[in-house]
Amino acid sequence: MRSDIQDNNKIKVKLFAILRERVGESEITITAPTGITVNHLNSEILKKYPQLKSFNNKFVTSVNCKVTTGDTIISSKDEIALLPPVSGG
Amino acid sequence: MIRITNNRLSLQEIMFELEDNSAGALSMFIGNVRNRGRSGNVSEIYYEAYSEMAEQKMREIENEAQTKWGIKKLVAIHRIGNIKVGESSIIIGVSSEHRHEAFEACKYIINNVKARVPIWKKEISKESQKWADGILLE
Repeated sequence: MRSDIQDNNKIKVKLFAILRERVGESEITITAPTGITVNHLNSEILKKYPQLKSFNNKFVTSVNCKVTTGDTIISSKDEIALLPPVSGG
Repeated sequence: MIRITNNRLSLQEIMFELEDNSAGALSMFIGNVRNRGRSGNVSEIYYEAYSEMAEQKMREIENEAQTKWGIKKLVAIHRIGNIKVGESSIIIGVSSEHRHEAFEACKYIINNVKARVPIWKKEISKESQKWADGILLE
């Protein structure tokens, strides 16, 4: 039961482009309390991966493929991604 | 047809997809990798996508173009991975009854793909590799 609770609080975050390169992983896992907001998650990510601090405010966070605001509450079931400025085409 | 692919883009396949006997116009935009970038000479570009979200956003843009101009058929394919100078990274094709709708829809789609779809490019030369400056999604 205890391990289920811990698993529920593990949030997987996809990284792309320069963010992926700086961390060296395309997906990271952040352990976070239930009911965490996007802003809180991002500050936890920057604490764990200080190499991303220079990119603060230079990426947006998507939840289930939609760009979202900082006060959005997320759960471990959501698909989270950090997206630096796009340059396709 | 909306697609993100690792394969070389085939004009023949795209022309086939756009065939429609009720369409009198077909407009196409082809984006190629050029040999000069912001940081100097370029030998190839590496493209990366958040494919699931990118295809969703491209469908959203397709629906907007459909509503605005009532186009007949649309093809938008973005290639990802390493693409050499002279090869195509993206092809947008639109067929419509008359030319005005096809031109306008094609322009709208490529402009919005560049601004709203999670795809990134890194310019690669013999001397350096640099992620392109881009647009922060909203």
